[in-house]
Amino acid sequence: MALSDSLPKVLTKFPEMGRADLRDFKKGIDETFRSFTRTYGEGIEDFFYPLKIFMVWFEKLLVGTPWPLMIIVLAILVYIGSRSWGLVVGTIASLLLIGYLGMWTDTMKTLALVSVSTFVCIAIGIPLGILMSKSNRVQAVIVPILDIMQTIPAFVYLIPVLMLLGIGKVPGLIAVCIYAIPPVVRLTNLGIRLVDKDVLEAADAFGASPRQKMFSVQLPLALPNLFAGVNQTIMMALAMVVVASLIGAQGLGSNVLKAVNNQYLTLGFMNGLAIVAIAIVFDRVSQKFGQRLQKHSEVVHG
Amino acid sequence: MKKLMTGLTVAGAIFAATSLMTTTASAACGEIKMAEFNWASGELLANVDKIILEKGYGCTVELVVGGTTAIFASMNEKGVPHIAGEQWVNALRETLDPALKEGRLHAINKGPITGLGEGWWIPEFTAKAHPELKTALDILDHPELFPDSEDPSKGAFVGCPAGWGCQHVNNSLFRAFEMEKKGWVLVDPGSAAGLDGSIAKANERKQNWFGYYWSPTSIIGKYNMQPVPFGVEFAGADHWNSCIVKEDCPDPKKTSWIKSEVYTIVTDEFKKSGGEINDYLAKRVYPGPIMGEMLVYMADNQAAGPDAAIEFLTKHEAVWTKWVSPEVAAKVKGSL
Repeated sequence: MALSDSLPKVLTKFPEMGRADLRDFKKGIDETFRSFTRTYGEGIEDFFYPLKIFMVWFEKLLVGTPWPLMIIVLAILVYIGSRSWGLVVGTIASLLLIGYLGMWTDTMKTLALVSVSTFVCIAIGIPLGILMSKSNRVQAVIVPILDIMQTIPAFVYLIPVLMLLGIGKVPGLIAVCIYAIPPVVRLTNLGIRLVDKDVLEAADAFGASPRQKMFSVQLPLALPNLFAGVNQTIMMALAMVVVASLIGAQGLGSNVLKAVNNQYLTLGFMNGLAIVAIAIVFDRVSQKFGQRLQKHSEVVHG
Repeated sequence: MKKLMTGLTVAGAIFAATSLMTTTASAACGEIKMAEFNWASGELLANVDKIILEKGYGCTVELVVGGTTAIFASMNEKGVPHIAGEQWVNALRETLDPALKEGRLHAINKGPITGLGEGWWIPEFTAKAHPELKTALDILDHPELFPDSEDPSKGAFVGCPAGWGCQHVNNSLFRAFEMEKKGWVLVDPGSAAGLDGSIAKANERKQNWFGYYWSPTSIIGKYNMQPVPFGVEFAGADHWNSCIVKEDCPDPKKTSWIKSEVYTIVTDEFKKSGGEINDYLAKRVYPGPIMGEMLVYMADNQAAGPDAAIEFLTKHEAVWTKWVSPEVAAKVKGSL
């Protein structure tokens, strides 16, 4: 005899809400959200309007710049960031290959989306991390939210984003940032909290104001962690490119979708590997840049 | 389009076919195997047929779930299932036509649902507010009514998600109608969710929307989207198949969308022995708006085929009682 036969029914059959109630419950929330989008959708869209204009402009800039100039500019940026000739050569070679394989425009679109997303994530993430590090209460509130943002399946929040903002670049950016922002917040917070108490005491002894303490002592000493966070955010933003293209953000991601829908093996890998190439460049440059910043700070504070 | 939604592979088809082979056909109301296509209208159609055949004609009906290709392959090769209610045939022409000609299969009803197909749509309120927009040609002269969110100086035409077959068609038509020159951009919604979401958003906010969709679907029914006549003749199947559906066709011509053909198909064996059931299948035509309404009901209530079938039979007696004799209708009604 199975265990379930000998138990009272209430233990074997879960006391469910009931189909009709559950349906009304779901419909009720859906309807509330719909009326919310009807009332506030326009306003929310207006709020993001400057960002949209900027993204459209930035994408046009990257796509419109002649390719040799673009490669030179990117090579210079890579050199300034990394001071590594090997990386510069690698960047130029991969960009040439990407262009040769006919993915130049899409790569520029993806680059535009990822750069702006990363910038927005950092601009929101670092201040949020600083705020968290200052107050345990704020930390207790934000950490679970970050956990949700990192683990909830992207398809779930695509639905409200779509209803509020429609399809296009800004919803794509929001989808990317929801997923990519947690590391930079977490690691900024962690970096600042890990700063040696003795150092802070010394800063206090010298009569540093809280502002001075934050910007001249805590943040510089938190840089290794902070840069690990920025680096992770960039990587995660790139990983989200395909999901963002599900709601109409153009670029390499839409080609990957096209490949998936049609079993185009080569097309899928070509575009996937182009994303990887951009990711490696971003990763190495941001790591090298972070290392160099730390060296400077060691000279100043060490 | 339906091709996409019918994900069953050939392997699945063969599996379905072999598992069905064990019971051979014995129609004239013994056991009938009927296809249940794996999308909402297919489910409804199959379940309504099942109730009417079982309660009205005393058959035993077993439903076989599958997609367009799998079901068709199984019917064509093995002769089971015996009936496919909503078979989309555009993509199957090469294999279907010989089968019809040889008499292995019969298209007993060449339009079980009216007003179905792919094409271009606008919301109902747009159509009402701008009665002058009678055809696609009229709409194309007014890109300013459908501003693109990212470049409001252009009109947005929402095409097919990347990688769908209809993407090439919309690309070709975009060029054929010289839409770029007229101030339009072709928007890629990215996915089915993106396409649905953009329609839902436009309707909730009462923003004009112009783009591709297909019917019968719940979203078309829910928002009562209006099909837009193209205003030009169909340029012929040859041009369609050799150019419009291809990527980078050099000289696409203006054309209306190819007519989507949906048949109710039965096997030869069934047709010979099915008797009056054949008459029922031939008469059974769902008016498009009613089908749309049922699909909205299914989506809103997350109702499966059997529930939706009962809902249809109780709510729309006037529709289905015309398909059967009064005696059969009485029997079905008695069973509900």
